[in-house]
Amino acid sequence: MRTYRIQLNERSYTVAVEQTGDHDFKVTLDGETFNVESLTKHEISTSLVQSGNDSIRAQTRVLSTDKVDVWLAGAAFQAAVRVIGAGGYTLASHDMGEERVGGSIRAPMPGRITSILVKEGEAVETGTPLLILEAMKMQNELTSPTSGLVKSVHVREGDTVKKDSLLLVVGGNASNPTKVLAP
Amino acid sequence: MKLLIANRGEIALRIIRTCRKLGVRTVQTYSDPDRNSLPLRYADERYALGGATPAESYLNIEKLVHAALKTECDAVHPGYGFLSEESSFVKACEENRLTFIGPSSKALEKLGNKLSARDTMRQAGVPVIPGSDRTVNDEDEAVKVAESIGYPAILKAVYGGGGRGMRIAKNSGETRGFFRVTQLESLSAFGRGDIYIEKRLSSPRHVEIQALCDKHGKVVSLGERECSIQRRHQKLLEEAPSVALSEDLRHRLNEAAKKGLLAAGYTNAGTVEFLLDKSGEFYFLEVNKRLQVEHLVTEMTTNIDLIEEQLKIATTTSLELSQNEIHINGWAINCRINAEDPRTFAPSPGTVIHYHPPTGPGVRIDSALFSGYTIPEYYDSMVAKLATRGRDREEAIQRMRVALDEIEIAGVPTTIPLHKLLMHDEGFIQGNFDTTYLNSILPHLKSNLLGLEKFAAVAAATCRLGNAARPPVPEKDEASKWRTSARAHHMVGHGAG
Repeated sequence: MRTYRIQLNERSYTVAVEQTGDHDFKVTLDGETFNVESLTKHEISTSLVQSGNDSIRAQTRVLSTDKVDVWLAGAAFQAAVRVIGAGGYTLASHDMGEERVGGSIRAPMPGRITSILVKEGEAVETGTPLLILEAMKMQNELTSPTSGLVKSVHVREGDTVKKDSLLLVVGGNASNPTKVLAP
Repeated sequence: MKLLIANRGEIALRIIRTCRKLGVRTVQTYSDPDRNSLPLRYADERYALGGATPAESYLNIEKLVHAALKTECDAVHPGYGFLSEESSFVKACEENRLTFIGPSSKALEKLGNKLSARDTMRQAGVPVIPGSDRTVNDEDEAVKVAESIGYPAILKAVYGGGGRGMRIAKNSGETRGFFRVTQLESLSAFGRGDIYIEKRLSSPRHVEIQALCDKHGKVVSLGERECSIQRRHQKLLEEAPSVALSEDLRHRLNEAAKKGLLAAGYTNAGTVEFLLDKSGEFYFLEVNKRLQVEHLVTEMTTNIDLIEEQLKIATTTSLELSQNEIHINGWAINCRINAEDPRTFAPSPGTVIHYHPPTGPGVRIDSALFSGYTIPEYYDSMVAKLATRGRDREEAIQRMRVALDEIEIAGVPTTIPLHKLLMHDEGFIQGNFDTTYLNSILPHLKSNLLGLEKFAAVAAATCRLGNAARPPVPEKDEASKWRTSARAHHMVGHGAG
C-alpha cells in the first residue's frame, strides 16, 4: 500500500492505494472506498473507478514522477502527485505554485501577435490592453497586470510566439498575473 | 466531375463522403501540419499546398486555383471559413472555368460586407437592427452615433464575421476606449479597419433560416435552427427546430429570409441569421453565404443531404427540390466539441492520445479526429460535432446525454463538460435561454468539475502506483505543449479573481 498527496486545481487529497490483483486496486480517500480496474497500454492507462453505484471511466498518463494527467467524464485534470507515509519518500513538487514574475507578460498559449497596442515608455494602468495574441482564430487581448510604465517590448506585430515566451515588461510591483479577456 | 476541396478537417471529410456517394472524384488540398490528417486518406487524390499558416495554404487563392487546374478539377468546394465567402476567390474560379460550389461572385458582393447586407435587406423590407448606415471614422463620430441609438451599443467590423471584431460599449467612455482596439483587430483579422455601430439588443435569441436558391429565382427554406447557446459570440450548440417560434413567427421569418435572398440574387446554400427579442420582434443579423458548421442538424431533421444539393445547384444551375417536399421531422441537437479549456475557452492545441467516438440510434459525429492526432495550433479549435436526433426535443436531449457520456477524448481539454452541464440544466431543458445564457450558467461548471476531483485523484494515484516501476513518459514536444497550455489556464482561472 502506498499513500499519495494529490493536488488538483486548488485542493489536495490524501489517497491510499493498494494493489489487489493484476489490474485491480483498492483505493481510499476521506474514508470512501473505491475499486479501480486499470489497464496500461502504450503509456496510457484506461481505468474504471467505482464507488457505490457510481462508476466512471478514466484515461490517465504519467508525465513524470510527480505529474499525472487525468481525463474523465469529459473533463481534463492535471494532478501533482507526492508520495507520503511510512516507507515512502517525499518529492518536492515544483509545479504546484505559479511562476509569477513581476510585470512580465508572457504568452499564455502559442499563437501570433496581431497587434501591439502600447509603446515602450508608455504609462499603463491595470487592465490596459497591451497586445492581441491570436491563437486558433481567437483574438486574445492581454492586459496589464499592474499600473506602471512599459519597460520593454520583446515582440513585433506578426511574430509567431511559443507558449510562455516573454512578450512585454511593465514596471511596477505586479502581484497578479496577466489575464486573458474575451474580445 | 472532379472536385477540389479547399478546406480541411471535419468539413473536408464531410464533403468527401457525399462525393464518394455520388461517384464524384475528389482532390484534397493540405498544408504541412495536415499532412497526416484523415481527409487525405479518403480523398481520391491529394495536393500539397505547402506552408503552415492559413495565409500560406487554405487562404492562398493562387495556390488553390493552380492546384485545381493542375489536377484537372472542374469544381471547387470551399467548405466554411477560409475562402468560402471571398468574392475574389469566386472570381478567380469563374475566370478559370472552375465551378465554385457556392454563390456567384455577384451575389457575394451584394451581401459582401455587413453594411451592404443591411442595405440590401432594408430595401427588401426585412427589419434590420438600428445602427449606423455607413463606416464610422473616428472616436467622436462613434460616440455621436452610439448616443443617438442608445447604449449598450456594439462596435462591429464592417468586413468581420465569425463572431470576431466586435465589442460592446456600455457608455461613451467605453465607445471611445474600444474604438481603436476594434479597428486594429478588424484590420489584422479581416484586412480592413472599417467599423460601424449597431444597437445591442437585450438578451436576444439567435434563430436562422437555412435556404437553398437557384439562379432562376427559386428559393426553398429547410426550416430554422436555434443557435442561442454561444460563447464570445460564437455558437457552441445548435438545434433544429427552435422552441422560440410560434407557427406564425416561423412563417414570417421564413418569408423574410426568402425575400432577402431573392433581393440579393443569391444562389446555392445560404443562411439568413436573425436576432429575436423578448417581444417577438425579429431583426436581420447577417447572411452566411456558405454551408455552415451546424448544417448537420438541418440534414437530420429534413433528411436532405445539403452538400449533394449544393453540388446539384452548382452544376445544373437549377434547384430540383420544391417547398412542399420539405418536411421537418423530429428534433436534432449539435454540440461543438472544441479543444479549449471549458472554463476560460482558452484554445488548447495538442495531441489526442485516446479517442473513442460514441454511436447508437440517432447519433451522428462529424469529426476528423483519431487517436494520435495532433491538433494544430494554426486553425480552428473545433475538433468534433456531436449531434443527436430524436422524435422530439426530449429524446434528442436524452440521446445527447448518453453520447456525451460515451465519448472519450484524452490528451487535450475540451468543451464536453459544458455540454454535459447544458443537457442537465433546467433552463436549457425548458427552452428558456438566450445568447447570454451560457455565461450565466458558467459558475455551475466549476462545482461540477469540483465534484469530479475525488475520482480524478483516485485515478491519478492508481496510475502513479501502477506505473511506479516504469520510467515516466519522455517530455515530447506535444506533451510539453499541453502541459504549458494547462498551466496557462491555471493562470487565467485564478488570476482573474
